[in-house]
Amino acid sequence: MAAYSLPFVALVFFLGGWEIAYDLGWVSPYLVAAPSQVAVSLVRDRAELWPAFVATSLCAIAGFVLSACSGVFVAVALYSFQWARFAFYPYAVVLQTVPIVAIAPLLVIWFGFGAPTVIASAALACLFPIIMSTLNGLGATGPELKDLFRLYRSSKKDRLFKLLLPMALPEILTGLRIASGLAVIGAIVGEFVGGGGLGSVVDAARTQQRLDVVFAAVFLASTLGGLSVLGIDLVNWVVLRRWNPRVQKE
Amino acid sequence: MKMFVALAVFLTVNSAFASTRLVLNWKPEAEFGGFYAALLSGAYEKEGLKVEILPGGVGTPAVQMVASGQAEYGISSADEVVLSQDRGADVVGLYAVYQTNPHGFMFSAEKKWTKVSEVLEAPGLLAVQKGLPYFLFLEKTVGKARAKVVPYLGGISQIAENPQLVQQCFVTSEPILAEKKGLKVKTVLVAEAGFNPYTTLVVVRRSFAEKNKEKVAAFKRAIDSGWKQYLANPEEANRRMHVLNPSMDMETLSKSAEIQKTLIETPETKTAGMGSMTDARWATIASQIQTTGLVKKVKPSAEYQWK
Repeated sequence: MAAYSLPFVALVFFLGGWEIAYDLGWVSPYLVAAPSQVAVSLVRDRAELWPAFVATSLCAIAGFVLSACSGVFVAVALYSFQWARFAFYPYAVVLQTVPIVAIAPLLVIWFGFGAPTVIASAALACLFPIIMSTLNGLGATGPELKDLFRLYRSSKKDRLFKLLLPMALPEILTGLRIASGLAVIGAIVGEFVGGGGLGSVVDAARTQQRLDVVFAAVFLASTLGGLSVLGIDLVNWVVLRRWNPRVQKE
Repeated sequence: MKMFVALAVFLTVNSAFASTRLVLNWKPEAEFGGFYAALLSGAYEKEGLKVEILPGGVGTPAVQMVASGQAEYGISSADEVVLSQDRGADVVGLYAVYQTNPHGFMFSAEKKWTKVSEVLEAPGLLAVQKGLPYFLFLEKTVGKARAKVVPYLGGISQIAENPQLVQQCFVTSEPILAEKKGLKVKTVLVAEAGFNPYTTLVVVRRSFAEKNKEKVAAFKRAIDSGWKQYLANPEEANRRMHVLNPSMDMETLSKSAEIQKTLIETPETKTAGMGSMTDARWATIASQIQTTGLVKKVKPSAEYQWK
């Protein structure tokens, strides 16, 4: 029970303290907006905020799906072909350190303004955790199960789809969980340069010193990230509960 | 005990020589030349001030830094001061370098446009920083842009990539960079449409100015001296700014310094002095910001400036 109630208690204390500090003038109104002002903005500026929320959500989901498909495919290729792993794995590790903020302006040049740049930014932000976690998962299958499949002379395809990928699911889903939050960050960075969505709202509201709108947009972005993680957790629970013996044991 | 005395002496001495900080809202360029000229010529020292200039960058919140006491002075614009005061910040204009606002639209020289209305009526792509008051004002008074409005990414990369694109600019900077790249461009000033807030406006906290009247007056005299020197001979300050911001070469800085002269020295400044501000101009800009809906109430002009 405490696991469910304590986060709410902490939230109430945090928001209450923030509101009181604002009302008492301990924080400057031009530096921080009060939680009540953010709540008002969510309703008052709904015509600006909610379509932006939908636009960011769609781009983040599109980027995430694109990355999930290509990330798993690339990881399977790297796992299946040793030469590919030797040739590309070091670069995959290095590439994940490239800050998305630094290359975002280039994405506009490559993909143009609007959704294509935002989707590309979201996809790039979450691609590498998926590749890495899938690779880890593919390597996690025990030798006894591999021997069993070899004993039955199963094909490479069967080994991949009936053994390696199902056994890698916990790691893949962990990667997707991390990636789902990163997709939202990537989408918003993409929107700073490509336009549209919550990123654009934050950018404009910051210029106009409308801190309540900035905080409201940030709140929506965080909510989107939280919902994405919850969604993956739900899939994790539904899928792994039935399929994966490692999870059944747990 | 000895340690406390030593600490007290250290703190007293340190505060006596503490730097006065001037935070810029962009990287060192000709628009800040006078502040560097004052530094190099010793104008601040002559007034008994030790000034540190803090260069800015993309999105540097100079006004908020001044309002929160992280810097004593900052660079802003009259429209930003009106907005900041409405949001509760205690900042006022002290010295207005640009009497004519250098914001403009830059486009291919093939186009025959001479007015802002012609720019807004044209189809295509228009790169502007979203949310800036001048654009909201233009959309309210001149009309909605017919072009697709896209984010302005800074510099000239967008127009270099697509010469048919129209982008916002500082007429003292981007057009020079574009010409260096071989692009033939023209500009139209936003001021042409009636939106002309003071820019490269030095701001200060009113509460700080009230407590440090002589220091603020000394700082104002020092920057005034710096700007007079820069307008007469920008070479030395340009060299310093080129070191601090290598993306601006000496030739570009020199051209910028020349172009901006007419925006800084106007018929008004010849009588009232450089950096001067009038109640009428402040009243106009406050009312224009109110037109955009960004502020509900405006204040008397005297509340936006320190005289």
